[in-house]
Amino acid sequence: MISALAPAGFSPDTFDAFLAARDEPGWLSDLRRQAWSCFTKLGMPSARDEEWMRTDIRLLKLDNYALPTDAPVDVPAPQALLVEGVELGGHGETVDSYAAQGALAEKWASRGVLFGNLDRLVREHGELLRPYFERPIVDPQQDKFSAFNAACWSGGALLFVPRGVCVDQPLHWLARMTDGGIDLGRTLVILEEGAEATFLAETASTDPNGGGLHCGAVELLVGKNARLRYVHLQNWGHRVWHFAHQMAHVGEGGSLQWTVGALGSRLAKVNQHVALVGQDAEAQINGVMFTHGKQHLSYNTHQHHQAPYCRSDLLYKAALQDKSRTVWRGMIKVDQDAQRTDAYQRNDNLMLSTAARADSIPGLEIEADDVRCTHGSTSGRVDDQQLFYAMTRGYTRQEAVRMIVAGFFQQVFDRIAIQSVRDALGKAIGQRVRDIQE
Amino acid sequence: MADFIAVAKTSEIPDPGSLLVEVDDRLVVLIHAAGHFYALDDVCTHDGGPLSDGPVDAAGGTIACPRHGAKFDVKTGAALTMPATQATTVHEVKVDGEQVFVKLNKA
Repeated sequence: MISALAPAGFSPDTFDAFLAARDEPGWLSDLRRQAWSCFTKLGMPSARDEEWMRTDIRLLKLDNYALPTDAPVDVPAPQALLVEGVELGGHGETVDSYAAQGALAEKWASRGVLFGNLDRLVREHGELLRPYFERPIVDPQQDKFSAFNAACWSGGALLFVPRGVCVDQPLHWLARMTDGGIDLGRTLVILEEGAEATFLAETASTDPNGGGLHCGAVELLVGKNARLRYVHLQNWGHRVWHFAHQMAHVGEGGSLQWTVGALGSRLAKVNQHVALVGQDAEAQINGVMFTHGKQHLSYNTHQHHQAPYCRSDLLYKAALQDKSRTVWRGMIKVDQDAQRTDAYQRNDNLMLSTAARADSIPGLEIEADDVRCTHGSTSGRVDDQQLFYAMTRGYTRQEAVRMIVAGFFQQVFDRIAIQSVRDALGKAIGQRVRDIQE
Repeated sequence: MADFIAVAKTSEIPDPGSLLVEVDDRLVVLIHAAGHFYALDDVCTHDGGPLSDGPVDAAGGTIACPRHGAKFDVKTGAALTMPATQATTVHEVKVDGEQVFVKLNKA
């Protein structure tokens, strides 16, 4: 499936045509108009903004893209990486922001679980979902891209798990994009009190070298004593611009394990924010990045402790090849009331080329006085002695490098409980590793 | 003139001065200094920031990064002062009448 595109650019006329083509509740159209107003008023971020000074988007031309319309045609599907050997409770797909297919096992649907395309579900369950749109946790006014998604989101996924329901089969979502296409997906996951679920989200281009624009938002709401495992594998084509605001709220006694795999795109700028809003909430955040060519991946992570006795643990690991670059800026923020916080953040970078560059900027902002907050960052190249030793044992140089890279990521893989995710990330990285470039 | 791409008119760039141009999906700063034209990647090798807003010194043949002051040789791209230590990429330039052409260094 592919969607035809309206005339290029984003003007009031194209926005009005986009809204008119959607059969949505009036309150949602009003919210879109407010966000569109923000989008038109906000300027593009520039190197003068602290957050953007290491991420140059001057080559991005928004006018090369257009809002999607509903005229799908068939296109070949890339293979999903996260589902091998997994018995799914449901799955869904979008292409260029439009629903392609989807299904949810009857045993979950009958227990009140909602899973599928957000476009459709917001029409069918508008009153249930309305509060989540009226009080979004991703602020549309944060920057031009968050406003853009709030105004023009299309496609995307919803998972709603009612109180006390434990979905013990993973749910899988694949967002695909054609060469030159656009993906404005929005993901909304709501786990009510005591609910449990595992959500595997994956993004991929139909052409591995394809271009396009993704401007997305992810909102994860983990209720009291609920448990969510959320995996997001970003595997866009190597000419795709990727902008995303991803945010989670974890309630009292709730638990979130959030794993990010960042492999694709030409330039990625992601804001990942986890707020622990209820006492005794817990979040584990895992990040795996592998870059090559001239890729530029920038992740801003934020662990916000708002309540006492919460725990957060972040580990981001990146391996960089060729002339690629990663930027990781991490912040642990502890509010005055969040006593007995236990928070950790760490970023490790393995440089496989002397021309690659990793910027690692951890930060702490602590207003409480009885907390344990630590952070660490390492950057370095492959140890020549390890390479030499492996080669004396009969490995070729490339095999040795591959093994060392696999070992580097093992620490974060060990934290990922889902075998298919470990396998997919390990396989994808193994295929990309070449050799060390002096 | 194979691989040379027309990027600007000579009159668009004061001497001394610079102009940011986009060549084949790459940002290049075109520099006019002491009657000659030069082209460098718009990247300061110190922190990856843009060079194009920096001052051009025609007599010294340099452009300085506006962020931390690192200077680069406009002819060779060499880093001349701290905090930059590595050269930025230099591209070939030709002038034909009023038109300035750039040939990208693909390295």
